[in-house]
Amino acid sequence: MSRSIHYYKIFFYIILLVSLNLPQIVFSKIALDEEVKKLTLQLRCMTCQNQSVYESESEFAKDITSLVKKMFEEGKGEDEIKSFLVERYGEYILFKPKFDTKNLVLWLFPFVLFLVFFIFFIIRLKKNS
Amino acid sequence: MSSLLGFIFLVLSVLLSFITIASEIYRKLEFKNFLIISRASTISILFSFLCLVYAFIISDFSNYNVFQNSHSDKPLIYKIAGAWGNHEGSILLWICTISLYGFFFSFQLNVEENFKRLTLAIQHTLYIFFSIFVILTSNPFLINSINVNQGLGLNPILQDPALAIHPPLLYFGYVGYSLVFSFAIAVLLKKNTNNHWVPIIKKWSLISWTFLTSGIALGSYWAYYELGWGGWWFWDPVENISLMPWIAGLALVHSLFMARGERILKKWIIFLSILCFSLSIFGTFLVRSGILTSVHSFATDASRGLFILLIFFLITGFGFLVFLIRAPENERPLDLMFINKTSALIINNVLMMIATITILLGTIYPIFIEILTNKRISVGGPYFNSTVIPILLPGFLLMSIAPILSWQSNKIKKTKLYVFSFLLLSIIILAQSYFTNFNTWGFLGILLGTWIIVASIIAIITSHKLVLSFKYLKNINAFIAHIGVGILILGITFSSIFKIENNFFIEEGEEMKLIDNTIIKFEEIKITNESNFQSLRALFLIKKNNKKTANIQAGKNYYFVSKTITTEAGIYHDWLKDIYIVLGNQEDNKWFLKIYINPLVSFIWIGIVIMIFAGIIGVIKK
Repeated sequence: MSRSIHYYKIFFYIILLVSLNLPQIVFSKIALDEEVKKLTLQLRCMTCQNQSVYESESEFAKDITSLVKKMFEEGKGEDEIKSFLVERYGEYILFKPKFDTKNLVLWLFPFVLFLVFFIFFIIRLKKNS
Repeated sequence: MSSLLGFIFLVLSVLLSFITIASEIYRKLEFKNFLIISRASTISILFSFLCLVYAFIISDFSNYNVFQNSHSDKPLIYKIAGAWGNHEGSILLWICTISLYGFFFSFQLNVEENFKRLTLAIQHTLYIFFSIFVILTSNPFLINSINVNQGLGLNPILQDPALAIHPPLLYFGYVGYSLVFSFAIAVLLKKNTNNHWVPIIKKWSLISWTFLTSGIALGSYWAYYELGWGGWWFWDPVENISLMPWIAGLALVHSLFMARGERILKKWIIFLSILCFSLSIFGTFLVRSGILTSVHSFATDASRGLFILLIFFLITGFGFLVFLIRAPENERPLDLMFINKTSALIINNVLMMIATITILLGTIYPIFIEILTNKRISVGGPYFNSTVIPILLPGFLLMSIAPILSWQSNKIKKTKLYVFSFLLLSIIILAQSYFTNFNTWGFLGILLGTWIIVASIIAIITSHKLVLSFKYLKNINAFIAHIGVGILILGITFSSIFKIENNFFIEEGEEMKLIDNTIIKFEEIKITNESNFQSLRALFLIKKNNKKTANIQAGKNYYFVSKTITTEAGIYHDWLKDIYIVLGNQEDNKWFLKIYINPLVSFIWIGIVIMIFAGIIGVIKK
């Protein structure tokens, strides 16, 4: 092993560490408005063309925004509000599809592909060296 | 009259294409005459297109298409752009572009005669498929059955200078891959052993990619100021569709750089060449059939969709069939190492492919679900952000050092320097973001962006001596392109994560306070009548540190003919931030105002311009 390979590995470990050790949760209280924003960004404005409730100026979007705000103030959680909206308007309202059996392929396929390639690549590397 | 003439030219051009193909099959023509007929077909279709443009310019409402999509009150530029601002005209432009690429290719030097003939014949076959589509389902030269003296007008949202040139640029990108496709098929059919074809395919795919980049960027810039949503990318299905061939094309360009000596992934290059055009056609099918909900759904007709689907299956099926039967062998096993240039390029290509597949999956998944379970679901921005971006992250990290990796060994020159500067950079950025406004994605984005820029600059300084020459520019071209990407990443990160939004509800004459001593004064509302619309503008005065810096206007346009209202966002550009004002509704004497402060948006456009510049340098020969 030459020295440069050694450095090289260090370089990659650093990248790995930096990306893993990021403080994932910031312990600060997110204001109500921020929560409303976060959720309404994920909701489709049903009367617009591919626009989120948050970005839209339509009547529908205004109604939904105030509804979401009210529900948050009543102490309901994000999931509760989402399932309420899905019951009322159908899953079409969610821009980020639910993680369920129907959407399994959608959510897992890209990462499975990624993993398969990763494993395949490592096997090829071992063979070569 | 011009309609009739246009149609005659269209049919003539198709006939000439048939002759070209027949002469390739029966070998009855000399090469010189073959070229003449092939070029004549292009000239004929160009005349046909000009006839349509002419009909739009003179507002010839006896043409049904002009009647449907134009109006005599429109400014001249939008009359011209109106020719491709509708389905029929834009498909005519599409086939024109197929033919034009063949035309330009016929002047390509260093291609064997047989090879050129075969490529052109395949290109003409593609042309015939699409021109039959035009003639049967989307004829722009139909005669209006009633006598009218006024048209119905062009969709006002399209009446914009950026959008006038957006479709042609985009088509030059999409359709450029048709030539890459034809060429790749010719390579397969000829089974020729030398690798002369590699630089040629590289040049044409780079040309297509550069056009596609400019087309997408222009569309995105248009969305930024015209839609008034404050953003510039919405993961709209039509945007996704343009992104697929773009990423596949990028993978192709990168894999072509591996073509050094014998180490060449022939199979992969050919596969990507076929894939790029397949994705282009598939995209056209999705947009034109109207099965997607999108801001772009302006041309929808089921029979057209089916026809394009048919063409898609024919061409793609044929392409991949030939590929399966006659796939070239890779001449040598690859030197994979952890980590050399070969493996870096392979990782890059695979990640790009996975990203493309993910975008494709997300775009068409709702269609499958609707067919299978009868439920409608949406797959929007949040999905793509949480899949495509993490998948591409390792690629972004790799690209900072990829150009300096070596082919044969896994050593890098000056490793210490890179490790040290990466460490230093991470500490600085971590500290900076920790003390300001910490956000994981923000931190990652800034780190990646700056690291790509810094590493590329280090590489340029240490490995290439500065000489003011074109050769130098060509040598550092990969780094320039990557610096562009770095700047783009910075722009994307800042403008999406650190965007600040303010809502106001105020009267004329009042002032609004924003961050860093910026004050915006809402001066007055002004209503004026233009030739084809009425404009309502709110005038604002921007003051910084009590000094007047700029005037901007935000408002709405009301188009008489189509009775629609468009938003005209008021944007104050600065190198470091944009102030973006959207005028909302009025209640009593007060107006709703949305003011976004978008930091570093300019970096997005600068980054893209640098990438396009690098693309152009890559195309130009030494």
